[in-house]
Amino acid sequence: MKKIFLILFACLLFASNTVFAIDTEKAIVNDMMLQNHINEIGTRILNANKIDLRMVFLYSRKDKLIKGEPSLTKRQIIIYDKNINNASNDDEIAAFLAREICKTAESYMGQLKGLVGSAQVKFAPKKYEIFFDKRAVDFMVTAGYNPLALITYINKNCPQKRFDTFARSNLTSKRLANIYEYIYTKYPYFLANNTYISNPYYQNFLLTSINNRQKLQQKIEKNTKKEIKYE
Amino acid sequence: MNKIIFLFILFLTASPVFALERDYFVEKTLASNLYSKPETNLNYNYESVESIPIKLQITKNISTKKGKVYEGQNIEFKTIEDVFYNNEILLKRGTIVKARVETYINRGMNGIPATIIIDNFEIPNIKKEKLKSIYIKKGANRTIFVLPVKWALTPLPPTGSFTNIIIGGHAKITNKDKITIYYYPHWGNKLIDYNIDILKL
Repeated sequence: MKKIFLILFACLLFASNTVFAIDTEKAIVNDMMLQNHINEIGTRILNANKIDLRMVFLYSRKDKLIKGEPSLTKRQIIIYDKNINNASNDDEIAAFLAREICKTAESYMGQLKGLVGSAQVKFAPKKYEIFFDKRAVDFMVTAGYNPLALITYINKNCPQKRFDTFARSNLTSKRLANIYEYIYTKYPYFLANNTYISNPYYQNFLLTSINNRQKLQQKIEKNTKKEIKYE
Repeated sequence: MNKIIFLFILFLTASPVFALERDYFVEKTLASNLYSKPETNLNYNYESVESIPIKLQITKNISTKKGKVYEGQNIEFKTIEDVFYNNEILLKRGTIVKARVETYINRGMNGIPATIIIDNFEIPNIKKEKLKSIYIKKGANRTIFVLPVKWALTPLPPTGSFTNIIIGGHAKITNKDKITIYYYPHWGNKLIDYNIDILKL
């Protein structure tokens, strides 16, 4: 009887190990596929925009959070699984990467081999935040991605604070309104032929941005170039 | 039969629940047929290192001061000297080159300078994909001396914060600035060029 139990126990142990090995293998293959996909999208943005600055991409799970700001120090763009889990399509992955590419490119600017440029981004992240959003739109368009995906991606990912007067980042609604205005001004084709109009996240943006879009409408009607103070 | 009619009525009444919010502002101000799709750059080949510099000068000064610059602003440059390629003149001196203000950053605290980014150069007879043309102009960058002072004063709070009042310089592009952009005649789809060479042989 003991022998039977022993054999049964050995069989169970073997089976669980096999299952565990298969799961690990699947996870590794999944990570490899994701990493390759991220590399393809990121490199396409770099090449299409003729960005002659070296930078690499890394997919990382949330349990291996990397300290510091590697995009500014090592020029390594890290995309965590929480970032990619919220992306519905390649346009949205491109939106995330285009923004990070722009930030990393800034780390090459200025004196001391970009040290000053990086320090400026660290010191004034609020000032650069909207700039990165706008340049990300340019990068996406040149690389053949739809820039409206930046709106849907930010709408899904970035929370809305109460105030931003003394904060280190802008209100998400303000960022989204600026992106919308930028696309309206420079790439009206994407709004006039809107493939995202039936996207629920884009619809949610339209719903939550009525006041800001009214402000833009007034600016267009008055034909002024004055900057709008979005909420 | 009653079930079919019931389902049909249910379908008719339920469908408006999923009606989409329309972007009336865009529908009112942008007509879909007026805009062509923006150009992409996906047929690249950066094998060639041969480049021809094109030296430019702005025709009308621009500056970030008092909101004189805006996104999407069209600006004009002119070539400072003749540009030659294969001993043939490519661009004559004084040729007008159009460009666009892509975006800009206003100057900020801690000596952060304003920045203007110019691109989308339109040069007669030259494709945009063969140009390496982005031009970035920054104002006076005072961060380089603000940061050491700030760090030195940090042990004596709140004196370190006093450096916040030092503002960076405005970005200006004047006709004294000589801008060089590069034309790479062999950039593009090399595979097609090779095929043409084979056919010639």
